[in-house]
Amino acid sequence: MTTVDEVVVEAPPPGGSAGPRRSIGARRRLVPYYLLSPGALFLLLFFLIPLGLMLYTSLESGGLLSGGFRFSWAFDNYTNVLGQYQVQFVRSIVYSIIVTIAALLLAYPMTYWIAFYGGKWKSSLLLLILVPFFVSFVIRTIQWKFILGDHGPILGPLKDIGLLPQGFRVLATPFAVVAGITYNFLPFTALPLYVALERIDKRLVEAAKDLYSSRWEAFRKVVWPLSLPGVFAAFLLTFVPATGDYVNATLLGGPGTTMIGNIIQEKFLVELDYPEAAALSVILMIVMLVLATIYARILGTEDVQRAAGAGA
Amino acid sequence: MDDDRPMIDPVAMQRALRTRLTRRSLLRNTGIGVAGFSLASLLAACGSDEGGTTGQSATPQDVFSGEPGDTLNFANWPAYMDQAKDKDGNVYHPSLRVFQQRTGIEVNYSDEINDNAEFFGKIQPLLAGGDDPGRDLIVITNGRYFTALTQNGWVYELDPSKRPNFDANAASWAKDPFYDPGNKFGMAWQSGITGIGFNTKQVNGEITKMDDLADPAKVGSSSVGMLEGDMGDWVMINLGIDPVTSGPDEWKEAAAWLKMQRESGTVRAYYGNDYLPDLQQGNLNAAMAWSGDVLYSAIWLGLDMQYVFPEGGALLWIDNMLVPAGAQNPVGAAEIMDFYYDPEIATMLTEWILYMSPVPATQELIKKDAEKNFDQGYKGYANRLQATAENEFLYPTEEFLGRTTFGFGDWTDESAEEWDAIFLPISQG
Amino acid sequence: MSTVAAPAKSLPELGPAPLNRSRKRWTRFILPTYTIVMIVYLASPIFVMILYGFNDVPFDRQTAKFWGLTLDWWKNVFNVPGLYPAFKNSLKIAPIAAAFSTAIGTLFGLALGRYRFRGLKPVDFIIFLAIAVPEIVLGSSLLSMFVLAKVSTGYATIILSHIGFSIAFVAITVRARVQGLDRNLEDAAQDLFASPVSAFFKVTLPLIAPAILAGFLLAFVLSLDDFVITNFVAGPVLTFPLWVYGAQRIGVPPQVNVMGTLLFAAGILAAVASVLAQRRRSRA
Repeated sequence: MTTVDEVVVEAPPPGGSAGPRRSIGARRRLVPYYLLSPGALFLLLFFLIPLGLMLYTSLESGGLLSGGFRFSWAFDNYTNVLGQYQVQFVRSIVYSIIVTIAALLLAYPMTYWIAFYGGKWKSSLLLLILVPFFVSFVIRTIQWKFILGDHGPILGPLKDIGLLPQGFRVLATPFAVVAGITYNFLPFTALPLYVALERIDKRLVEAAKDLYSSRWEAFRKVVWPLSLPGVFAAFLLTFVPATGDYVNATLLGGPGTTMIGNIIQEKFLVELDYPEAAALSVILMIVMLVLATIYARILGTEDVQRAAGAGA
Repeated sequence: MDDDRPMIDPVAMQRALRTRLTRRSLLRNTGIGVAGFSLASLLAACGSDEGGTTGQSATPQDVFSGEPGDTLNFANWPAYMDQAKDKDGNVYHPSLRVFQQRTGIEVNYSDEINDNAEFFGKIQPLLAGGDDPGRDLIVITNGRYFTALTQNGWVYELDPSKRPNFDANAASWAKDPFYDPGNKFGMAWQSGITGIGFNTKQVNGEITKMDDLADPAKVGSSSVGMLEGDMGDWVMINLGIDPVTSGPDEWKEAAAWLKMQRESGTVRAYYGNDYLPDLQQGNLNAAMAWSGDVLYSAIWLGLDMQYVFPEGGALLWIDNMLVPAGAQNPVGAAEIMDFYYDPEIATMLTEWILYMSPVPATQELIKKDAEKNFDQGYKGYANRLQATAENEFLYPTEEFLGRTTFGFGDWTDESAEEWDAIFLPISQG
Repeated sequence: MSTVAAPAKSLPELGPAPLNRSRKRWTRFILPTYTIVMIVYLASPIFVMILYGFNDVPFDRQTAKFWGLTLDWWKNVFNVPGLYPAFKNSLKIAPIAAAFSTAIGTLFGLALGRYRFRGLKPVDFIIFLAIAVPEIVLGSSLLSMFVLAKVSTGYATIILSHIGFSIAFVAITVRARVQGLDRNLEDAAQDLFASPVSAFFKVTLPLIAPAILAGFLLAFVLSLDDFVITNFVAGPVLTFPLWVYGAQRIGVPPQVNVMGTLLFAAGILAAVASVLAQRRRSRA
């Protein structure tokens, strides 16, 4: 499957002047750059430069109470935060791994069925999955806080009839945080899986069955391997943002569930310690870059982009 | 509670509040440096006089002279302004409406301040850069960020001749507080204390002291809320330490108690200021809480909650109105600041907010309001008003106030960093 | 774009594939039921949100307890001070951000999807990063930049930031569609003496219009719902998610549920319209 078209440069017509034709060709070669330029400008200004400035800020020192920060090659910001926040880093990574695995397990059967057996309802079903996420995730997470409240609609009645001890709670536990993040990122997992599964030629499965493989074998040997790029894309699209999440830990968590995203957010907006906060962000960014580069080198960025595009 | 509580003796009140004033803080407030934190060095360190000196070069008389502008941008905390529904069911702020009718100034009210630090972080870049801060009046609690704003010239010095209501009606504790001598920069909006609030039906026995919050037998496990911003000072007070004179050694003592509490398993979460819904809904059995929040829930919402003054002491804080440097309508800001020291307006506020009003005359006015409502047949409302007027947390006796203490106030970047290094790991771990 | 599988004929002597019944059980009952359950689970907070918009709470803040049904909050949706302006802000910002990011992103997607040029791979990678980067990193770095550049945060910074992160999403949406297009159509138009520009407008643009619309909707939703990045760069401006996050600290008014329901309904309508538009196009 070709992914790009070649720009056709036409040879100058025989006997005619080479002028206009060649300039058309040259102009055509420039077309992509024209098309790209506004987007590239924006991405440069509002994506790349800020990230670079983050690097700059991370090497500053000083304090807001006394007037401001100054650039001073303060690499000790990095050593400080790495030493201080190891627990939160590790915890975030562990939570994200659990979230990603859970999301994959939850999303795979669903997307498999829709992709293979959805028929003409495919896009509608996909839409049904995505539609709840039109509502802001702040609101959705608050609703979960209601649903899972100690005396809320689920736990309350269960406690009243004695099925659960009075002290039992779901909120303010790591479970609630992980469950919340999993819920919020399910679409990011489902979409790449769906896209990958949908592209698998169904006739391959039929062929396998004709060769007397069991349905499980057909899955294991045909579908699963072909869906792996989607699985990896799902992994990346879920794991990376989940690591930096802080809203779920804030709304649903308790002591001992603080994630690195919470630390960054607190450092930026509460402690106002911009250099250390920036250092933490840079570290998070580097981890993400490493993972992304490895993935891109091995599998290419197409599946991820296709997945994000399928959501629209 | 008897009605014949003596009115607050101003001199004794002042003494009670000022005994903690130390020579160190005196020196600091007169501009002489302590720990390298002097006004002169600040301005030099700023490196430019863009924003830092805007408030300094013009005198207060210049800033606050002339006609007020037509609109006023007022940023405040949520649930800190009286609220009512008009006949169409629309919610509005009665006192702001009165202000508009009297002065013609339209107030854009925004309850955007959820946290001193967060708000400071939003506004500081604008102030330091000399830009329009977007607000004419802000409300900041005494403490680290208040100090930063006043010491860096990021808020205007007030013109003392423009506040007749304040001079006539302010409580003595609101006049000349230790962190803002002579009310050079701000005027109190409301005050409150941090004590303990709890759901009466969900705890075992009486909760009376700080240690109860670390006792699973009394409060259960994972059901206590702690306030991140206040807990350092609060724990110190309850351990018998005076925060105003404290240092890193005392902070470590407080941190040790907090660690012990965390290990006891009673803490459910460390909150910024969002503990109230959890407390109201029963997700928390008990919490470090602010007086007004719990009193509102108990008196006006009828919830089964109680507020206690811990045996060891309570933290006193004051929320102050400040005019940020570069504000578009400082004259209007000064007008509204004094407007809220009119006893009738202050009454409208306190009846709704339930925090400590800086205008003592409101107590009598609330009682009169209660009588009026009682006569008109609104007995329930009248009773609540009466309970409000008689509440010791709103109209404290001198003895009561004597048992409260302000928090640590000697803020510099160094002290802030040390404080954070000791206390933050407890809530962030 | 699903491939229609032609059923393979089994050899008559051996009969149908042996595990037919269990396959039917899986594909007809277990998996579909699971999918329906998942869809309901994903939508459950929405149901709660809609239901509690009718909760007859005696005071103005939402509680977990359900007190009874009322239409009060629907009648007085815009009553809560601060909520309506925040809602309006969101509705002001989203279309502007979406419009710009759709315009820019469409051009970007066209370039990516159709041409090969030097720098394609790095640009690809950057787009990929823009989609995957954790919002907190982007939000905090944007704030750092605005602070350093001494730009006051407010409407402008919100809109610019929203455009920044939406472009990538629009670009890949359009790109996916462009890649599936038959190049010959545009060439045919040119053979019929259409200039490249008019070929673009008369042939290509209508064909990729569904993707542009979808990209616009996506950018709109991303902007409307964004919390993390907006939290960092909003300054004094409050948007709907920001307001809700601040309000939930002391209690959310039921009007928030009502507004959420309205937004949700609008989202469903838009999605349905988009699907119908796509169906009609693909039939054309």
